[in-house]
Order: sequence, then C-alpha cells, then structure tokens
Amino acid sequence: MKTSEDRIRELALQAINELGENATEEKVRQLVGQKLATEGVSSKTSDRTGTRVILTTFGINQPGVVSTITSKLSECGCDILDISQKIMQEFYTMIMMIDLTGSTKELKDLQEEMNTIAAGLNIKIFLQHEDVFRYMHRI
Amino acid sequence: MPYEFDEILETIKMTEIEHFDIRTVTMGISLRDCTDRNISVVTQKIYDKITRYASRHIENAQSIERQFGISIANKRVSVTPIAIIGDSFGIEEFVRIAEALDKAALTVGIDYIAGYSALVQKGFTSGDESLIRSIPLALSTTAKVCSSVNIGSTKAGINIDAVNLMSQMIKETARLTAERDSIGCAKLVVFCNAVEDNPFVAGAFHGITEPEVVLNVGISGPGVVLDAVKSLGGGNFQELAEVIKKTVFKITRAGELIGRRVAEKNNIPFGIVDISLAPTPAEGDSIADILIAMGVEDVGGPGTTAALALLNDCVKKAGLMASSSVGGMSGAFIPVSEDQGMIRAVERGNLTLEKLEAMTSVCSVGLDMIAVPGDTPAETIAGIIADEAAIGIINDKTTAVRIIPAYGKKVGESVNYGGLLGLAPIMPVKNISCAKLLLRGGRIPAPTRSLTN
Repeated sequence: MKTSEDRIRELALQAINELGENATEEKVRQLVGQKLATEGVSSKTSDRTGTRVILTTFGINQPGVVSTITSKLSECGCDILDISQKIMQEFYTMIMMIDLTGSTKELKDLQEEMNTIAAGLNIKIFLQHEDVFRYMHRI
Repeated sequence: MPYEFDEILETIKMTEIEHFDIRTVTMGISLRDCTDRNISVVTQKIYDKITRYASRHIENAQSIERQFGISIANKRVSVTPIAIIGDSFGIEEFVRIAEALDKAALTVGIDYIAGYSALVQKGFTSGDESLIRSIPLALSTTAKVCSSVNIGSTKAGINIDAVNLMSQMIKETARLTAERDSIGCAKLVVFCNAVEDNPFVAGAFHGITEPEVVLNVGISGPGVVLDAVKSLGGGNFQELAEVIKKTVFKITRAGELIGRRVAEKNNIPFGIVDISLAPTPAEGDSIADILIAMGVEDVGGPGTTAALALLNDCVKKAGLMASSSVGGMSGAFIPVSEDQGMIRAVERGNLTLEKLEAMTSVCSVGLDMIAVPGDTPAETIAGIIADEAAIGIINDKTTAVRIIPAYGKKVGESVNYGGLLGLAPIMPVKNISCAKLLLRGGRIPAPTRSLTN
C-alpha cells in the first residue's frame, strides 16, 4: 500500500514537471493513469470475486412466485444456473444459483428489485454473493 | 447445485434469526508520522491522515454488507497510542488531540475511534503521565474517542503507580460525565498484556509494530452458538465441544471473508480476525445464555467457570483452524451491560464481582462493563484492577477492567446507555479496604513466567 501510494505521488510529481504550465488536475490524473497502465498497475481496485450469487426465497406458497422472480431476473439479463425447491405444507423454499455476468443491473440494484417483489408478495428474498456459502461450508 | 439446501438455509438462519453479524471492521492507522513541536500542526496532520485513509471506510463496509448479506454492526478506526505521538505535550495539548480525533471520526462517519492510549507497564514517560491525566477531560469533551492504558504485562510486572493513578482517573471520568450515567468510563479500559491488533473498542489501538494501515475484523456470534448448544440437547462434554467448534468454525470463516473483502475495497492490507464471541444486548445474543444452555441454572453458580472455560477453548480451537490470521483477544467476552443473561444474573444476585473475577481467568478479557456504586473508594478500584492484572501476568493472558463507578448512584440502581453498550445494574463491592496495600506504590516484579528465554 505504502509503496504504491509513494509511487503514485512520484508519478504525479513527474507529470506536473512534464506538463509545466499546462498542468491541470484533469491532465495530471490522465498522465498518471497512463504511466500506471504502462507499469501494469491498475489504479482501480480489482474485484477478483466471481459473479455468481445465491438467491434464497421462502414464504407461504402462492401462484406466481417463481414466475414473478424469474421473469424479473431474465428481464435484467441474469442467467439462472441451477434451481432447487422444497414445499412443506403451505410453505415453500426455493434456492437459485444465478450468474450476473450478463446482468444489466448491479447486485445492489437487483437486491432492491427483489425487495420490492418480496414486499408485494409478502415473502422473503435474499440475494447473497456465492463466496459467503463457499467460505462457510467448503474448506 | 454446488451447495446443499440445508447449508444455504443454515447460513440464512444464522444471519436472519440468530443475530450473527460482524461486530466491527476496524481500520488501524499509524500516526507515527504526525508528530511535531507545534500542537496545531499535530492535530491537523492527524485529522488529515485519518480522513484520507478512512474516507470511504463506511461506504466500502456497507457495500460488502449488501454483497454478502451479513451486517457489520460497527465501523471503527484505531490509531497509534496517542501518548507516543504527543510525548512532549501537556494535558491541554492532549485534549486538543482528542478533539481532533473526535472531529475526524465525525467527518468519516465511524462509530468509534480508539487509541487515546498509553503503554506504561514498566513506567511513565512525561507524555504518558500527561495523557493519563488528560483522560477525564478528553472523554468528557468528545463523543467517539475511546481510551485505554496498559498497566501491566507478564514481561514487565504490574505498575502499581499507574494502577493507582488510573483508579483516580476512572473516578474523575465518572464525575465529569455524571449527567450521562458516567458514560466516559464505558470508553476507558485498563489493560494488562494489551494486544496490538485488537479491533474491539474501547481497548483498540494500532500497535507500534503494526503496518502503516491495516484492516482488522471482530466477529459476534453468541446467538449462533446458543442455538447449536440448544439443538444438541444432552450429550457429553466431548460432543458439546464438537458442536461448538463446528459452529465457530463457520462464523470465523465468514468473518475472515468479510474482513478480507473490506480490506480489498479500501485497498489496504488485511490484518487479523478476532474470533471473540461478542454478545449484544439483543435477546438471544448472550454468552450467559450459552452457559445456561450448557447446564448451569444461572450464571454465577458453581460450574460457570468450567462451562466458560470449555466455551472459550472451543472458540480458540475452531477459530485457529478456520483462519490463518487469528489475532486480537480471540475468546469469549463477558461484559455485564452488553449481555441480557449477565444483566439478569446480576439483578437476581446470582452473579457477584468475585465470581466474575474467577470467570475472567478463563475468558478472553476481564471485568468488562461493570457498574459499581459511585462512592467506591479509588483505592478499592485500584485493588480490583490489580487483582485482574495479577491474573493476567501470572497466566500470561490479556486481562482488562472497564469499571463504571456510577457517580451519585448506589446498589439497586443501574446505568443505561442503550445501543451496544446496554444497561448495567450497580453491583455491590466488598467494603474492605486495600488502601494500605496499594499505596505502597512501585511495581510488582515480573513473574517467573517472564523468564522464557
């Protein structure tokens, strides 16, 4: 962290010297970005985790639950990789594994969409990144 | 499906029903480069550095909460012990540093900032003493600053002069924050064998051997362990140990995942996961309830210490297997005010100060969030601290005292802070003086345990 921050500072100083009187905040940022890129360092935080999430939903079984959820998912470009369901008397539990690679929405926005559906149908829907299950249940 | 139906539901049950959450993600920031002869320069440097590193701490932690569906109760910052940064300063300057820390905490939106600390196990520098004497004022004029002082270690023994001074400062802090149930004392810990990477407040600080900046995480899952113990029902001690270990293993894994991801988001190194089971005042999120589920009728009865020892040991064993970065306190916390079961036991008269002291010899820290009558003499508080530190140096473990001599209050009343700090009934303290002993002053020499080389 410290090394990389120092390096960025060094590059910024170089950029200011090179730009001379033309130095503006925007230009310096651009130049530092280019220099970092040539060094093979990304100035943005990389998100190394995968894009698979687990959707869990449960509540009182009623017609249209599965279709409401899946049609919203397909509308957002989500790919359902696996689906599993159990019904006990009037209660249902359904778990889906979803790939968000082609999704038009971020996980956060998708969660909000699902919250709206959950509130409308009076059911529970959880959308969590796969890693939490991998860390807890797989060594 | 790569995961079993039951596995997924178990995780959901933990977070939604059993109160499993991450107690804290604490960003440790070194302030060693913030020194100067001019106090205004020091406070500016401190403010700038904290707000620079922690500017997106809250936002990043919240995004990880959403991503994994596990809530993070507190977002905190710990800093280098301030006595080291301001060693040349007097009381007034130290208070200005506390105010700068508070201002930085408010700007970045964190819950607490800890590290208004001094390490005086062997003796005081002039800065150490000034910082300690400034604590009552610092804690009464700030909202988010937490303070801790290490007065003993296995290697150095116990600095009894520091114990005596701290007992006076605790009394003074209680007086200065009297209108809010002496809340200043809830943010002040006296340590023996303090750890340098503890993410939990009030005792967190960023140790001098720590890197520039680091992210530590503390978990909180008594509710999950409680349900596991309840679902076992009968079963012998080995079976009990097994079920606790399995549960703690899982929550530690989740804690490590969250810590690593928050660190990545902040683009800083991940430090440690503190596997301590930290209770909250929420019903069912209680260490006391676990001990009761194990089989003692109420906390404080015979058998309590043995049950707690088993719990504490299982937490450590499972945590060690689950994470390669275990640190901090890593055991079971037994704060009174933050645990409904403990509060009830005190109210019923089943849990006394003396039994709590015995329990602290096998748990992760010590006498935590204990309220005592406001007229308890400073020497008696010093005696309680010295007893606790003695357990620490002889057993080579961290012990601590966070005691609230509630100003103007007596047994039968309580202090109520709400939130995570909870409610503490005032506990009776034996009216037997130890003034003659403590006022000898000096230092209790290091025990034979210190000679390990």
